[in-house]
Amino acid sequence: MKQYTQISLVFIFILFASFSGVSQNTISGTVTQPNGTPIVGANVYLEGTYDGVSTNEAGQFSFETQEEGIQTLFISYVSYEPFLLAASVTQMKDLKITLREDVNSLDTVVISAGSFEASDNSKVSVLKPLDVVTTASALGDFVGALQTLPGTTTVAEDGRLFVRGGSAEETQIFIDGIRVFTPYTPTTNNVPTRGRYSPFLFDGITFSTGGYSAEYGQALSSVLLLNTIDEPDQEKTDISLMTVGAGIGNTQKWTTSSLSVNASYINLEPYTALLPDRNEWQKPFEAISGETVFRQKFEEGLLKVYAAFDTTNFQLDVEDINVPEGINFALKNNNFYTNVSYRERLGSNWKLFAGGSYTFSKNKTTIESAAINTTENSAHLKLKFRKKFNNRFKLSVGSEQFSSKIDEDFNDPNFSKTYGYSSSISSLFSEADIIFSKKFALKLGVRGEYSEAFNEFTVSPRASVAYKTGRNSQLSLAYGDFYQQASSEVLKFTTAVESQKTQHFIANYQYAANHRIFRAELYRKQYSNLITYPSSTPEFDSNYGNDGDGYAQGIDLFWRDDESIKNVDYWVSYSLLDTQRKYQNYPTEATPSFANTHNLSVVAKYWINDWKSQVGFSYQFGSGRSYTDVNKPGFLQDKLKDYHSISLNWAYLLSQQKILYFSVNNPFGFKNVNGYQYADTPNTNGVFNRRTLLPAADQFFFVGFFWTISDDKSDNQLDNL
Amino acid sequence: MKKLAIILIVLLSAKGISQSTERVEKTKYQQGMTKAFGLWEDNKPWEAANLFERIASAEPDNWLPFFYVAQINILYSFSEKDKTKLKAQLAKAKDFLNDAKAISKNNPEIMVLEAQWYTAWIVFDGQQYGMTYSGKVAALYQAAQQIAPENPRVALGKTEWDLGTAQFFGQPTDKFCPELERAVALFDTFVPEGEFYPQGGKEYAMGVVAKTCKK
Repeated sequence: MKQYTQISLVFIFILFASFSGVSQNTISGTVTQPNGTPIVGANVYLEGTYDGVSTNEAGQFSFETQEEGIQTLFISYVSYEPFLLAASVTQMKDLKITLREDVNSLDTVVISAGSFEASDNSKVSVLKPLDVVTTASALGDFVGALQTLPGTTTVAEDGRLFVRGGSAEETQIFIDGIRVFTPYTPTTNNVPTRGRYSPFLFDGITFSTGGYSAEYGQALSSVLLLNTIDEPDQEKTDISLMTVGAGIGNTQKWTTSSLSVNASYINLEPYTALLPDRNEWQKPFEAISGETVFRQKFEEGLLKVYAAFDTTNFQLDVEDINVPEGINFALKNNNFYTNVSYRERLGSNWKLFAGGSYTFSKNKTTIESAAINTTENSAHLKLKFRKKFNNRFKLSVGSEQFSSKIDEDFNDPNFSKTYGYSSSISSLFSEADIIFSKKFALKLGVRGEYSEAFNEFTVSPRASVAYKTGRNSQLSLAYGDFYQQASSEVLKFTTAVESQKTQHFIANYQYAANHRIFRAELYRKQYSNLITYPSSTPEFDSNYGNDGDGYAQGIDLFWRDDESIKNVDYWVSYSLLDTQRKYQNYPTEATPSFANTHNLSVVAKYWINDWKSQVGFSYQFGSGRSYTDVNKPGFLQDKLKDYHSISLNWAYLLSQQKILYFSVNNPFGFKNVNGYQYADTPNTNGVFNRRTLLPAADQFFFVGFFWTISDDKSDNQLDNL
Repeated sequence: MKKLAIILIVLLSAKGISQSTERVEKTKYQQGMTKAFGLWEDNKPWEAANLFERIASAEPDNWLPFFYVAQINILYSFSEKDKTKLKAQLAKAKDFLNDAKAISKNNPEIMVLEAQWYTAWIVFDGQQYGMTYSGKVAALYQAAQQIAPENPRVALGKTEWDLGTAQFFGQPTDKFCPELERAVALFDTFVPEGEFYPQGGKEYAMGVVAKTCKK
């Protein structure tokens, strides 16, 4: 028997040897998930060869190869990280391989504390790019749409973003990572301002109400990040005709580059002639603006050049309780902004970003006989490198430089003065993204800033973590220190002040599933080193200090549901805010007049298929803001009445490329009050008279016709509205 | 905008020539591709996709295996109910689509497939992707048509997309019939550039004609 075995072994040996001396190796093993469950259908093969197989029901694989020596075994399966093993083929036997989850996949935890995203590619998108333009109250202004999110306070007469008890200057706006110095159009004090830049240039918006990345500085409360489109889809011409003006845009595409140009002209003269408002206009608001974006693709890089110019002018008599005939106010503003950015994928997982912006703004303000000319020249330069060590660890380092120069001259028949300042801030930042697993991620950053004018160095640590608590829910925490220099209103008179500081503590819970999203965020913000001065407004000879401080705390709730009611998409935001501060000329700690306790927004959109129409509704409520009643003891001790506003809009698709758009703000004519102005001197009864500050108009109507001409005849401007 | 999602699904099963009667010595590539198409026909698309992926690894300069890995992942995402899996599949498809594009530039077949990739996202979530991606789909078909007006899959894909848009706006659809019928006819005259090149879709095109152009 034994002999027989030997013989057959020899026989088998001969049999094998006769196959031209090629050795066959069997590669075998099992592929499992981290929890031990076998992976069925994983692709197992030797890289660069035809030898391989799919795993069976038990996760097992076995295949023959004629390859020899060191080979790379490659295993891939959807939503898992590919596995590579370089070894001698003879050793690839009975392998036990566990695939790691791919943390790049869309169900990985993301750090959501503080930030809201509006984009297509984001893992948690609260808003969609289209919302910016289809939200009834927004009137095509991206800032207007963000004001329906929690954490913002409705300051109807202002129009800028007020975040979590912070003033409007505490929010900074960035386009493609580069600072915008003058983001808002100039306006008179009872007409809300708008964002200067047209929303259709952007395809991603991140609005952070706190705890943001170390990449961003010089903002105490909030940052708004706008990203321009990388590549337009096609060549087209857009024409818009509106009750307030007209616009035209054109996009041209070439193989590796594209150019978009658009221009608009706004004149409120016909509108105010037809529907007069409370202002005595000599020259109703008129604005001419032009924008252009050029994009050039390179093998591994992308260059974007953006430039915008606009000129605005108006003149009116502003009501004033101390001056019965009103105060004449005129403004001419020229604003030029350019932003150049370049990003490139370098070798070995390095990425480069370089960019810069330059702003030139000239304001000519005339108040009665006084003429004030302000010129601002500001620039921002940024250089950033990012290295991806692997899917789980990324590190970025960068440096930036802000420079601002503001010159102002004040001319009155009996007084004139020239003043100004220049400031420059240099900073370094670094941030690490660490993903421990699909469930747990950490972001750690630090930012150092040096200000030349103040000879001051600040260091701000930032940290946030996110943990996935369930399939659709997650918890994140964030902490950060934030510094910002005093506003130009103060800096033009003194630079002997330090940076103001806030600290943010944020806890966020988020649940997102099936087109429904719920977010709750609890926060505390601690202010210190706020600017103080004794005069009622900053003046030449005021005595400035950094003796202010304060806090803001509250809870922000957000619910969006696009699923429960057919053809209806709606969201509800509620913010509870408790804030007090002592700064500027405040005699005591008080709630500033731009903050209130309760804010509620309800936005709904209803698509009516038979009418090819989208009908939009939005309601905004803000509890009364504080004001000082000088006839009573105290400071900011009284509350205005609550604010209510309803907006309705209707977009009707005449055909693929023609849209008719109607909107009305406050159709029910709520009488909102923005504040009171008290007389400088008391009347004969010893009482200070007051004047109610009302919006320029209670209602606003808008009709527009938008027409797109393109080759494929299906594109339209719905996303421009 | 949710209703944009209704806009159609383009399913083009492109199967290569799997049978060759000539008894010529086949290369490993030919054997592999033939086997992969065989698996696909035997209703084992994922094994086919795995095999295409292995061929792609051995033939890094040939766009076809990359193309078919992407195509299987896209095709079967239309019927995938598990959202996490669907997203992962489309992500994988995008990787292979990018590889195919890098190997073969301005290829109308790849453009059609890329248009289908965007369509898959629109079908998955029209509210989120409808408005932005439909422009990209239209642009891809437009570009593909300029390069290859006689390619039946380009003609079919583009016409079906326009047809869906017209349906969405409640416009008459019978004006697309001549173009659809032209697409069907093109399947008979179209000569693939090489072995294993995409060539299927005629049955599907005839189905669209039957549905749209009731006489």
